[in-house]
Amino acid sequence: MIKKFRHIVVVSMLIAACTEKINVNLDSTYTRLVVDGNIASDTATYQIRLTKTADYFFNEPVPPVTRASVFLSDGENIFPLAETKPGISGIYSTDSTFVGKKDKTYTLHIDLSEPISGESAFDAICKLNHVTHLDSIGTVFEPDWGKEGIWKIKLWAQEPGNEVNYYLFNLYRNGKLLTDTITKKVVSDDKFYNGSYMNGVDVIYLNNAHKWETINPGDTIILQMSGITEEYYNFIMQVQQSGLNIPFFSGPPANVKGNIDHGGIGFFAAYSNSFAKTIVHR
Amino acid sequence: MIQSKHLLFLFLFLFLFIFSSTFTVSGNQGDKNKHYTISGKITDKTNGEALVGATVFIRELKTGAVSDVYGNYSLTLDEGNYTLVFSYIGYKTHEQVIILTMNIALSFELEPYQQQLKEVEITSEKNDRNVVKPEMSTFRMDIKTIQRIPALMGEVDVIKAIQLLPGVQSVGEGSSGFSVRGGSPDQNLILLDEATVYNASHLMGFFSVFNNDAIKDVKLYKGDIPANYGGRLSSVLDIRMNEGNSKKYEINGGIGIIASRLTVEGPIQKDRSSFIISGRRTYADLFLPLSSDKALQNNKLYFYDLNAKVNYRINENNQIFLSGYFGRDVFSNGFARMNWGNETGTFRWNHLFSKQLFSNFSFIYSNYSYFLGTPDGNNNSFEWNSNLRDLGIKGDFSYYLNTKNTIKFGASVVYHMFYPGQAKGIGAQTVINEVKVPNNYAFETGIYGSNEQRIGEHFTVKYGLRLSMFQNTGPGTVFHFDSSYKAIDSTIYKAGTVYQTYYGWEPRLGLLYDFNAKHSIKASYARTYQYLQLAQNSTVGTPLDIWFAASPNVKPQIADQIAAGYFRNFRHNTIETSIEGYYKWMNNVIDFKDFANLILNNKLEGEIRNGKGWSYGVEILVRLNEERLNGWVSYTWSRSFRQINGINDGNPYPAPYDKPNSVSVVLNYILGKRWSIGATWVYATGAPVTFPTGRAEIGGKIVSIYSDRNQYRYQDYHRLDLSVTFSGKQKPGRKFNWDLNFSVYNLYNRHNTWSINFVQDNENPNVTYAEKVYLFGIIPSVTFNFHFNND
Repeated sequence: MIKKFRHIVVVSMLIAACTEKINVNLDSTYTRLVVDGNIASDTATYQIRLTKTADYFFNEPVPPVTRASVFLSDGENIFPLAETKPGISGIYSTDSTFVGKKDKTYTLHIDLSEPISGESAFDAICKLNHVTHLDSIGTVFEPDWGKEGIWKIKLWAQEPGNEVNYYLFNLYRNGKLLTDTITKKVVSDDKFYNGSYMNGVDVIYLNNAHKWETINPGDTIILQMSGITEEYYNFIMQVQQSGLNIPFFSGPPANVKGNIDHGGIGFFAAYSNSFAKTIVHR
Repeated sequence: MIQSKHLLFLFLFLFLFIFSSTFTVSGNQGDKNKHYTISGKITDKTNGEALVGATVFIRELKTGAVSDVYGNYSLTLDEGNYTLVFSYIGYKTHEQVIILTMNIALSFELEPYQQQLKEVEITSEKNDRNVVKPEMSTFRMDIKTIQRIPALMGEVDVIKAIQLLPGVQSVGEGSSGFSVRGGSPDQNLILLDEATVYNASHLMGFFSVFNNDAIKDVKLYKGDIPANYGGRLSSVLDIRMNEGNSKKYEINGGIGIIASRLTVEGPIQKDRSSFIISGRRTYADLFLPLSSDKALQNNKLYFYDLNAKVNYRINENNQIFLSGYFGRDVFSNGFARMNWGNETGTFRWNHLFSKQLFSNFSFIYSNYSYFLGTPDGNNNSFEWNSNLRDLGIKGDFSYYLNTKNTIKFGASVVYHMFYPGQAKGIGAQTVINEVKVPNNYAFETGIYGSNEQRIGEHFTVKYGLRLSMFQNTGPGTVFHFDSSYKAIDSTIYKAGTVYQTYYGWEPRLGLLYDFNAKHSIKASYARTYQYLQLAQNSTVGTPLDIWFAASPNVKPQIADQIAAGYFRNFRHNTIETSIEGYYKWMNNVIDFKDFANLILNNKLEGEIRNGKGWSYGVEILVRLNEERLNGWVSYTWSRSFRQINGINDGNPYPAPYDKPNSVSVVLNYILGKRWSIGATWVYATGAPVTFPTGRAEIGGKIVSIYSDRNQYRYQDYHRLDLSVTFSGKQKPGRKFNWDLNFSVYNLYNRHNTWSINFVQDNENPNVTYAEKVYLFGIIPSVTFNFHFNND
């Protein structure tokens, strides 16, 4: 949070810079496999999406990787995943009875029907970390922040002191996921809270000027708090930084580091969830 | 034990060359001739300020001396009759015949040319030091030159002027960071009255911390760094503050569109002691309470600088100086507070042991700190502090043995105190724990000796050696990292223990062969060590970047630079030209791993990646010192590369400052008694940059797959600035003078790239496009300057 705060402060000091669209000629690069999906500690159908990379200005939906053989293992059991529309979707899902077990390590195996840049077998390993119990959440409106105010989502929970924890936060408004892209999700380590009772800590800020992603009095909101691995935390942070180029604090651009072997891109994540619900009051 | 042995060697070396040069002299001249010393101080007649780098030329011998940074000179000659010619750019040349039969003290006050132009007799003794001094890769500017350069928002700026020199690149539009001959911005030692300035930026770098009213003289060493300087690989920027008028009271000031300045100076005791105090503050935020936007009314955004200096001439042989600088940027709004700045202090005692042996002793303090926080009373309230403090002591000696040998030696010790960062919750409601990066401490020591020796009619050699030493001292915490840079465990050292010592021998060599003072060839070699570096992996940086030291995990950076050049002056030295080539090798160069975490990270050293760098180039400079027209035109061709383990798959890549072609044209023309115009045009190849070549779709976002590091370039950078200065009527004896300066930054409104972002379209998420960010279009400004004296 404090590190992000630095960015906010520095950006808000910037004398209004100007932007304009330009044409840039970019080279092509070889194709890689992209893995995107997760499993969690709740009983549900989980989906893993396989796609291929494309040239940067491809500007069409990326091609799916179809007819692959995909399965999960936790070291004892094997869970096969089936392509939702075989030969078309590139989306592979578990049974609806699948439930991830806390503190187990899951491996995702992928065998392609056609190799991508010479590779046809890929593995990704992720531990399904536990998460602390989310006691409750609340909202506060700050009318003076920004043009139309800012909503703060706060949480109450005991942070375990005997371990290093990484968290992922998602927010649902009236049953719909507001944090619906990876750049809107919030991740945090426990550096500033380790072992403390998180007594109303701000976790999400919503800009009230963005009507499509803010909340209003009367809405039912659910905060999802997930215990994730350090690797996944770093991955999300990197995706969020990637593409942003602000000479004050952006480091040199670099490829995000996921957990797919053999040159694959993306992340197979496993985590456990804790939820809390509230109704928004002004 | 090892260290003391090295010190012994150095003393032995010093002794040997002092002895050998003495011997050479007596060998050449026999014992019959008696020699005597002429020495003194060269000052400005109007205000008593010491003139730095003024020339004392002996017509009969076609040799001479140059005044040091305190205006002192010394010449030891055989008995005889001589014509001494005192000269300095912008001042009337003075000739004096002396009969040398005894030691002579001869101080002289030179008179500056007034604005009104007279036909001036050009004498052949005009400054030819460009050709005859065994000194290359340097550039000296007095503040008058800098003041004539058109400036962004009218704020005349030392650093922005430096960025116009050949071999120097700005790190970004409007930035105060600069790269010298392909080095990193933190490889430049920036000194203000000998105190290190760790962050020379105000307002994210758009302005530098140097208030031009308080500054006298600026000298940049891009290579051929003299042995008395050490601690940075690439350059030394030595900035000296004005001493204050010792003859009369003066008030100078200026009112600009973003800042105002006021300087008061004068004698405390005429010709004996003087003071100067100079302040500057921006005032954009003073208008914020008038804003209709409620949120803006309580915002703060300003910076200020305060420079002060006093000096006291105790007697002919002793003078003391006390100078200080305080500057701060302050920013706050409803949810954040932030401020940062430097403080420096220098106490100096200038002592002449004899007519030939000059010395200076300095006590130096420097502090850079920043603060970031929220208002308290909230459960997320916190504050975050960081600072770096130096305490130093230094002694420098110059021994003007004779006209053929000038010996310099000295030593310095600096104690560095690093408080890299501490963030903690504030107020009763806070739930934020304290996070602290452990403090650490170090001693940096240097000892040096050098001699400038003239051999025969045409050849001069300058040789020196510096021994630098860096010692980490307790209390301190050192983490141990495995081969994949993961911290395994740590060792805690008690106060007083020295847990790591590095030292480095730094030879410096300069050669000069001059062809009858008309033209010359020069060559130099210098090795430099650097023990402190900036944890910054962005191109421009923020005030929150911290400095960190060499340690058991971080080896000192080492550079070797060779350079050679040809120097020729034309038209009685009013046109100086030079061409220089250089090659620089850098070892243990620091970079950071991809997505490095440099903020409040107590395992910062695990984020570091090490490697080597090299750069080379050719710089062509034509400098004009005509009566009406002055300035320079330069062209630089240069390359700079890095090769770092773990970055770019270990393959070499262009450094961020690799801009192969660059041109600067800086000209000022005096139109008449009241008008002058200045123009600057700069051109540089676009900076190297990493662009995406592929895309992957992850979590609803298009994630870039990047090219090799720095494989693309931004568009070429170029810009024209113009200024016109109109002065009030000047009459002798008039107490109040003024001028009005109109300047335009980026006259033809080029949208130079600051960065390029690749953006995912909001409407159609499959579409991406490139978006250029530029900071400044055309920016006009006006500044009113005034000058008042009690003549």
